[in-house]
Amino acid sequence: MHPWESFISGLRQWSPPDHTLSYLWSVRTPLFETLEIAAAAMLIAISLGLLLGLYIGARLPGARALYVLLTSFRAIPDLTLALLCVIAIGLGPAAGVVALAMFYSAAIGKIFADLFASAERAPVEALESTGANRIMVALYGLLPLRRQDLLTSGAYEFESAIRASVVVGFVGAGGIGTELVGYLNQTDYHHATPLILLLVLLIALVDGLCWLVRRHPRLVLPLIVLGAAAAFANRPQTLYFRHAIKTFAAMWPPRLAPNELASLPKLLGETLEMAFGGTLLAIVCALPLGVAAARNISPAFVSFPVRRLLEGLRAIPEMVWGLILLGFAVWGPSMGILALGLHSAGALGKLYAESLENVNPEPILALAATGASRIAITSFGLLPLAFGPVAVQSLFRLEWNMRAATIVGMIGAGGIGGALFYAQQQSFYHPMIAYIIITWALIMIVDRISGRLRSRWGIVEIDK
Amino acid sequence: MLTVDDVVVAQSKRAAAVLDRISLNVKRGEKVAILGPSGAGKTTLFRAISGFLPIRSGTITVNGITVNGLRGKQLRALRQKIGMISQRHDLVDRLKVYENVMAGALGRWSTLHALRFLARPLKSELAEAEHALDQVGLVRKLRARTSELSGGEHQRVAIARALVQQPLVLLADEPVASLDPVLAGQILELLCGLAHENGFTLICSLHQPDLAYEYFDRVIKITGGAIESDVISVSRASLRHIGVGA
Repeated sequence: MHPWESFISGLRQWSPPDHTLSYLWSVRTPLFETLEIAAAAMLIAISLGLLLGLYIGARLPGARALYVLLTSFRAIPDLTLALLCVIAIGLGPAAGVVALAMFYSAAIGKIFADLFASAERAPVEALESTGANRIMVALYGLLPLRRQDLLTSGAYEFESAIRASVVVGFVGAGGIGTELVGYLNQTDYHHATPLILLLVLLIALVDGLCWLVRRHPRLVLPLIVLGAAAAFANRPQTLYFRHAIKTFAAMWPPRLAPNELASLPKLLGETLEMAFGGTLLAIVCALPLGVAAARNISPAFVSFPVRRLLEGLRAIPEMVWGLILLGFAVWGPSMGILALGLHSAGALGKLYAESLENVNPEPILALAATGASRIAITSFGLLPLAFGPVAVQSLFRLEWNMRAATIVGMIGAGGIGGALFYAQQQSFYHPMIAYIIITWALIMIVDRISGRLRSRWGIVEIDK
Repeated sequence: MLTVDDVVVAQSKRAAAVLDRISLNVKRGEKVAILGPSGAGKTTLFRAISGFLPIRSGTITVNGITVNGLRGKQLRALRQKIGMISQRHDLVDRLKVYENVMAGALGRWSTLHALRFLARPLKSELAEAEHALDQVGLVRKLRARTSELSGGEHQRVAIARALVQQPLVLLADEPVASLDPVLAGQILELLCGLAHENGFTLICSLHQPDLAYEYFDRVIKITGGAIESDVISVSRASLRHIGVGA
């Protein structure tokens, strides 16, 4: 079939979405489950992450070792953790809550620790000079000094958690994700479309909520109550610790059969191809889109629709893009590259636009004073000045895509994620744990190289 | 009160020494100005006295306690007795003025007490903050946000915090470096007056000789990490305190 024809037939499969009232009403249960997973996991993750961050920030005993542990733990993708939790805890939202709580505790703990480490030194030392202990210095210095940044990164992580709470459903951890995968497996796209639209709407709502929380921090309180209620609702299942420990013990030692070992280079090659290809595709698309979305460069009638387009691309997680592409008969690494590229183009385009808008205005005014045109100002002023942040964001995206590449593999893009998912489905736990360790090592290596590049370029800021 | 004996201090293990075999002795209640250009080693001396920098050789004793090698609880107990204010922006902007002032009491509070104060300060604690602010002439700013203070007010709040700490020695590291001459005079006058009233030893680093000779009993000049001169000065401020002169 000609690609164009497959595209048209793909589109036909997806529309019209089932918009009958009875169907939309039936979606409420998985929708609440998704919200429940996100709220409960984030309550646990933010509380635990804050404690971990403060522990490291206050330089209490073992802080350095804890920081290394959190950094390594972050290299295990959320969906991989969800796979493990589904095996250990069982199908349903509890597995999603535990997986996301673990992943985001490590992520938030590390981000908060970094924020505390870069807090202004003078007020902290002044507090230390009063004879205050480290916990008091954290309470009176680190926390208030970094409050705004903590709220911003907390809100950003919450937004990511909503997307992730859908994604963990794909391996059976409940919510819209499990529902969506069910319909897609039956090639019932008419029922899947409303779920995807609902997801985009949900993420837009969460965006709005996060914006409100940043402006009025007191709104965190009702969220805490909701999170506590959701965590309580999932309490009986999450407490199956003995079963979980027994299951994990049975997975050791990691082992690969000779044929699995032989196919490993191909799997790793495919994964790297998806990560690098997806990032490159995203950069190529995001550069012009970012310029078009920057309000200080483009007129409002261009920047406004481009911004909405970028938000739309970003709101749909890589996994959902992958599932949509499956509907258009695209699979294998090319599906992975497209899925990663589309989501990352949205994320990078928004960040590029913000970097261009945040450029120091003085050199730009000096250029404008010479009578330079808008194109000249953009090429000789804005773009070179925004190079640093743009490079950092692109490198962070590569790190992100390395994790995402192992995840999209689970829905048919191949690579190491595909092998991992197959092993889990067949209950081949020894190779499964081996693939998890290999994935972790691969991500750690890419993170390390990217970190080195960033510090060599003298840019170490945390990207948001 | 403070003895610095043949002390060598560097910023880090491998760096060259900033203070080179420096010795001085300061008596209880003395008001001493340490004079010297930027980079002379004034801040390094203060940081070594309060245990922020390790001492390579020699000894520093404060109120009979040797500072060398102190760690953990013992170091915190010593710091409680040494107040410190600096030219740097060292208040926490996001806290209220009274919270910054009462941070001076953290050394004598338990962690739970510190936590409770943030959530619900007692009337007696607010009265203590008010008293300290009254001494620096800023009582009206008790409940203000610290970020709203001017440069001079900022320095006064830092002094109020040091007063709440009830130190035996107050180290003021270029406290007037970023202030205009009139305000600088007012702050030094205030510091010397408070030292006299509260009976603490005041050691203040400056780089303006005229201010040093005007306000302090003793002026020590440091150049290149060593003491160049150590002279007794009859300051106008002390004359005023004993009721002689204008």
